[in-house]
Amino acid sequence: MRARPEFTLHDLLHNSVASDPHRPAVVDGDAHHSYENLERESAALGGALAEAGVERGDRVGVYMEKSWEAIVAMLAASRLGAAYVNVNPQFKAPQVEYLAGDCDIRVMIGDTPKLEGLGPKTIQTAFYRGARPEGHAARSYVDVAEALDGGGLAEDRKVSESDLGTILYTSGSTGMPKGVATSQRNVVVGAQIVSTYLQNTSEDRILSALPLNFDAGMSQFTTSLRAGATLYLLRSRLPGDLLKALRRHEITGLTGVPPLWALLIRGAKSLRENPPTHLRYLANTGGRIPQANLDELRALLEPAGTKIFLMYGLTEAFRSTYLPPEEIHRSSPEQGNCIGKAIPNTEIMVITKGGQEAAPGEPGELVHRGPTVAMGYWGNEEATRRAYRPNPLAPPELLDVERVVYSGDTVKRDEEGYLYFLGREDAMIKNQGYRLSPEEVENLLLGSGLVHEACAFGVENPAVGQDVIAVISLRDGGEEAVDKIREYVIENGPPYMVPREILVRDELPKTGSGKIDRKGISSAYANG
Amino acid sequence: MVSSNTDARTAIRGWLQENVTGGRDVPDDEPLIDNGVMTSLQTVELVVFLEDTFGLVVEDEEFDEENFGSIEAIARLVESKAA
Repeated sequence: MRARPEFTLHDLLHNSVASDPHRPAVVDGDAHHSYENLERESAALGGALAEAGVERGDRVGVYMEKSWEAIVAMLAASRLGAAYVNVNPQFKAPQVEYLAGDCDIRVMIGDTPKLEGLGPKTIQTAFYRGARPEGHAARSYVDVAEALDGGGLAEDRKVSESDLGTILYTSGSTGMPKGVATSQRNVVVGAQIVSTYLQNTSEDRILSALPLNFDAGMSQFTTSLRAGATLYLLRSRLPGDLLKALRRHEITGLTGVPPLWALLIRGAKSLRENPPTHLRYLANTGGRIPQANLDELRALLEPAGTKIFLMYGLTEAFRSTYLPPEEIHRSSPEQGNCIGKAIPNTEIMVITKGGQEAAPGEPGELVHRGPTVAMGYWGNEEATRRAYRPNPLAPPELLDVERVVYSGDTVKRDEEGYLYFLGREDAMIKNQGYRLSPEEVENLLLGSGLVHEACAFGVENPAVGQDVIAVISLRDGGEEAVDKIREYVIENGPPYMVPREILVRDELPKTGSGKIDRKGISSAYANG
Repeated sequence: MVSSNTDARTAIRGWLQENVTGGRDVPDDEPLIDNGVMTSLQTVELVVFLEDTFGLVVEDEEFDEENFGSIEAIARLVESKAA
């Protein structure tokens, strides 16, 4: 029995508190935090945020390693009617400063060393975890530990499902990340849908191995919150730590991206000798698992009762499809990369270039219709109009008010309705579960001041999805500049954006219209 | 093949600067994983490097944060294996 209808993220919290206040909501290291604690501390932090001037509709940044405080921060913002913006903890100052400007983050909750890395006056108020930060990233500082001890909000603000719930940043083709504005309704319905097909209950112990800024990582938290389950935060994804966490906490559910499975499989011997019998399901997202890894995972885990879900999602619509465990044989080298069928309460259309529904077997663009379709890209009308379009199959009498998401992914549907991923139209690179625009890598390279022209592209590497390769020409100087460029990129960008190889050419080939010929350069690379 | 502890530290520091941290010097006791300095995939690469350089094998169960949480810890592991 749910005490409240589910409209907002904090409605999910209140229901779980009502049904079992003492159950651990979050386990971070050795600390167990009950649902009651989550309610109390999110009210306390909410009160402190309100005192710092956070209004309904404001954006609150969360720039920290995955932690209890990061979880509390999301709920604190939600209870104020503010949107939380989970910043990739791997981001360096240039990306974070851009984000803070892009969606006007005035209050940021962060780890001290991360806040110290930001330029002067990036934000107004910093809530720090750790020692008081040095430097001038903010005008005023509040200690998170003190805020969590405070009196807090007397009551939640009036918040509706139509309010902005969060902004999920994803790689953008303008060279900087773009924010997907996601409503409270998107977040809540996403949790309802995912917890329905994964059949989550309060008995679940879910291992959080993905970052919270990533849609699937956030989804693990929201589904756990809705189910009243326990979320175990894991920062290290090293094989030894994964194995220990699975066993020690008797984990029942784990969602990850392909590189995580490769790490888990490194522990194959140990898994074979001592299988994680409590693991009810394992769910993959963020790209295809290399077949050899999938076969090995199945061989290692299915005999012990683990079910494997293959999922596909777009940040623009949170989650889109999944292949249920009993159909997993459909994803195979012969049949292709099967991504299953639409998640509950969602329709997936395959639309041809001519705007018609594709026939079985005919390639078309995956178009997503349903309640998780987000509000659009924050502050970017042009990109929003490109991706969020009227439903092509709606009857004309309904005018064009409904928006669906055009994914940019090419798929086909078989006679039985199963969808197969074929590829992407654009040049997006898929690296370590991240969708990365080559422009963003090129922009970072150019930022070094040493690069004249840059071209980045992806090269297949089953272990990580695609490796990032960069071909550049130099402003001046010789090959020794490459070390400096590399150093700059490492210091100013997240690890998945650092090219595996940086190759120098005198000049980069251009297309007829004078643009750098990315296709030509990448196929020349592929051909050696 | 090198095996002294000083060499292990130097090798680990050098690898980190080249692959993970750029020019920044990382103190030997700085938490590498908890502070997000090094990703899991980078740690796997480091293990491959250490296995090649020092001719050792890191077992599944010891490939964890306790042994890879800082330069200090990694050097200790390498040293214990070389001994």
